[in-house]
Amino acid sequence: MGSQQVRLSGSGGQGLILAARILASALVAEGRNIAQSQSYEPVSRGGLSRSDLIISDGEAAFPLADTLDVLLILHGDASRASTGLLNAKSLVLTDSDLVTDPPKGRFKTVSLPFSETARLLGNKRVANIVALGAIAARSDICGAGALEAAIASNTPPKFARLNVEAFAAGQNLCKAEVPA
Amino acid sequence: MSQRINLQGNHACALGAIRAGCRFFAGYPITPSSEVAESMARELPKVGGTFIQMEDEIASMAAVIGASMGGMKSMTATSGPGFSLKQENLGYACGAEIPCVIVNVMRGGPSTGMPTRPSQGDIMQARWGTHGDHPIIVLAPASAAEAFSETSRAVELSEQLRVPVVVLLDEAIGHLVETVDLDAIPETPEVWRKWAEGPKQDYEPYAVTDDMVPPMSRPGDGYRTHTTGLTHAPNGFPTQNPAIAEAALTRTTTKLDLHRERYESWRVRQCDDADLLIVAIGISARAAQAAVDDLRADGVKAGLFRPVTLWPFPEEALREVVASSGAKTVLVPEMNQGQLVLEVERVLKGSAGTVGLGRIDGEAITPDQIAGKAREILG
Amino acid sequence: MKDVDVLDDFDIEDYIRQDQMPHFLCPGCGHGIALRALMWAIHDLAIPKDKLAVVSGIGCSGRLSGYVDASTFHTTHGRPLAFATGLALARPDLHVIVISGDGDCLAIGGNHMIHSCRRNLNMTCMMLNNEIYGMTGGQVSPTTSSDRFTTTTPAGNTEPVFDACALAAAAGASFVGREVTLQILALRELLRDAIANDGFSFVEVISDCTEIYGRKNDLGASPEMMMSQKSSMRPFAYRNTVDVPFRPTGLKTGVLAKTDRPEYGKAYRAMTEKLRGKKGRG
Repeated sequence: MGSQQVRLSGSGGQGLILAARILASALVAEGRNIAQSQSYEPVSRGGLSRSDLIISDGEAAFPLADTLDVLLILHGDASRASTGLLNAKSLVLTDSDLVTDPPKGRFKTVSLPFSETARLLGNKRVANIVALGAIAARSDICGAGALEAAIASNTPPKFARLNVEAFAAGQNLCKAEVPA
Repeated sequence: MSQRINLQGNHACALGAIRAGCRFFAGYPITPSSEVAESMARELPKVGGTFIQMEDEIASMAAVIGASMGGMKSMTATSGPGFSLKQENLGYACGAEIPCVIVNVMRGGPSTGMPTRPSQGDIMQARWGTHGDHPIIVLAPASAAEAFSETSRAVELSEQLRVPVVVLLDEAIGHLVETVDLDAIPETPEVWRKWAEGPKQDYEPYAVTDDMVPPMSRPGDGYRTHTTGLTHAPNGFPTQNPAIAEAALTRTTTKLDLHRERYESWRVRQCDDADLLIVAIGISARAAQAAVDDLRADGVKAGLFRPVTLWPFPEEALREVVASSGAKTVLVPEMNQGQLVLEVERVLKGSAGTVGLGRIDGEAITPDQIAGKAREILG
Repeated sequence: MKDVDVLDDFDIEDYIRQDQMPHFLCPGCGHGIALRALMWAIHDLAIPKDKLAVVSGIGCSGRLSGYVDASTFHTTHGRPLAFATGLALARPDLHVIVISGDGDCLAIGGNHMIHSCRRNLNMTCMMLNNEIYGMTGGQVSPTTSSDRFTTTTPAGNTEPVFDACALAAAAGASFVGREVTLQILALRELLRDAIANDGFSFVEVISDCTEIYGRKNDLGASPEMMMSQKSSMRPFAYRNTVDVPFRPTGLKTGVLAKTDRPEYGKAYRAMTEKLRGKKGRG
């Protein structure tokens, strides 16, 4: 399998780095190598936040993102920050409520209600897990089974049920997805 | 069984040091190196070690030297502004030959600069930051796995050679999380500095020995020696006798010349037939790796020479690689306005053309940027 | 002051590196008296020289470590307490003594002094206060008295002075005391109690610099300076209160503060042992 690049972006505090860590540990369980990096502003909360995963077999030559296979945009703050890294093969998943101005180009953009789904589940903070469900269903980045196990081992037990529901809800969103 | 884990470069430094027997860490919070201290605060107590957050960077460097003089393998970590403050006592450790390890995770400078952005602006400071001629070893890891193994090696070298060792990371490597197989990293031998033994009255703490590394006395062992930052005679006491002063200073610098094979380390990628050689460290070297692969895929003969031990610079090795490949040009991409390129120029003395490629906007150099420059050079 | 048997078996030559004599101190300097009192206290406490570590900074006071027959560390300007912190944490079996001066401890090393007091790690800091930077030729220090002439206060000192003991007590040192060199027996006793204290002890010794400071200010030779220092001090019986005026004159001598606080090294080691115990169970 070749190398793939995933970026999870949004606003600080949306759990993007946790989501990237979960995805990274699922990928390692599947036998792949990851390089994870994040950019953050010198503030504790808010502001553009992103976490990147370079997925490869063996150590990646260059561990930072330059061409994204999958881009998640969970917040309008991050709408335009990554457009330069997209190409015709890129898949862009955006939050249908919080991203009103998604990037436009030759790539495929899918707009899904991640934050709304999380809110309906009773906790808007699981939008990151809903998004992981969608990534599992919509791309070939990582298997759902490995992701479910990684979610369980990287999050507190008291949120286990909520996270299982959020992940399943994210997968279900893709069954009825609407092109943006 | 393989122990594949996702490990951050900064955490890897802490774990690598502990595996090499480091049991004392003194530090002060600073972005982007704080994770090294946080890791040490968590891990050291588990192995009976000591972590202390000191009142400032100067004090943390002093405490590290104090603990090492007491006989413990010791380390600190910092970034630019803190590295500047540590230079005072780092010089003491160089002069009094006290083993210690300093991790410097480079961020944008000068001054407070860009705290969360990567840079390679401390390449010269790591070599020449403290005043006066002094010996120092600087290691430059380019991955999380190397952050682990090179920090282990830093502890080992500082003990073997009684010299401070700087582990120079850039923010991109410090904060990079990579899959690391801990079992694939060789166990670090339990290397200690040579301790003084034998008759107390004959012992001289800075005696000239064959290997130029005098055995060190440990408080409590009965030697009752004196340690000073003043230029000292073999007996450890200050001197301004010109002949003795010159001999003492010369020994500490020739000591490193004598032991080059112990600490020199570099990696080559596709250098054999390279028309264009790239010399880079840290994240710039990772970009260069990808650039070399891209260029080769296009039939362009590019190669990478990556110093892992940055200082003393592996000069013979670079000269040999340039000579044997016949490369006409050496490209030096670095995240500053041209520091490493000066050393490459000095080493090559015109035997190949040198071209610098700097980036100072707080972003990492990309493979495209390097490949583009290479194509431009080769026409 | 208790009666002290001056005819005990103390011999300064047992504690001094004879090969480093003659020393470099000026005639009339008070630092030698302080060093003698310190060694006498070490002798009283029967601390073996092999278990003694003396750490000093830079300045006239900094040179004293080199004369002590022990493991000695002449460190950088203002930093001896920070070096000693690492040494004392690494080697709780050692008796760590720091010798510092008014410039070393209160100016360039002021932050380390404050935090050493707060941390309460087991060591004793003997600060020799001679009101001047002697080694560099007589510049004003944080304890130079008002109106005094120094090479950097050619028209007399207009800066206020630091009260080091008040600072140490406020920052939390578990033992704080002050003495003049003329009272060497009282100083010996004060240092003995300071070293015996399990925690950070701070002792200010009012020393005199006749050559660089006294002469320039017409303070007389050493005997006159020492007498005037003694007469300007107020012997103070420890009453569990600290009431030291922020003035250069009328400073109190004796034990000025004593508190029963946890020693930092023990507290840290207790924490690590608890952690390791937990790890063993898990």
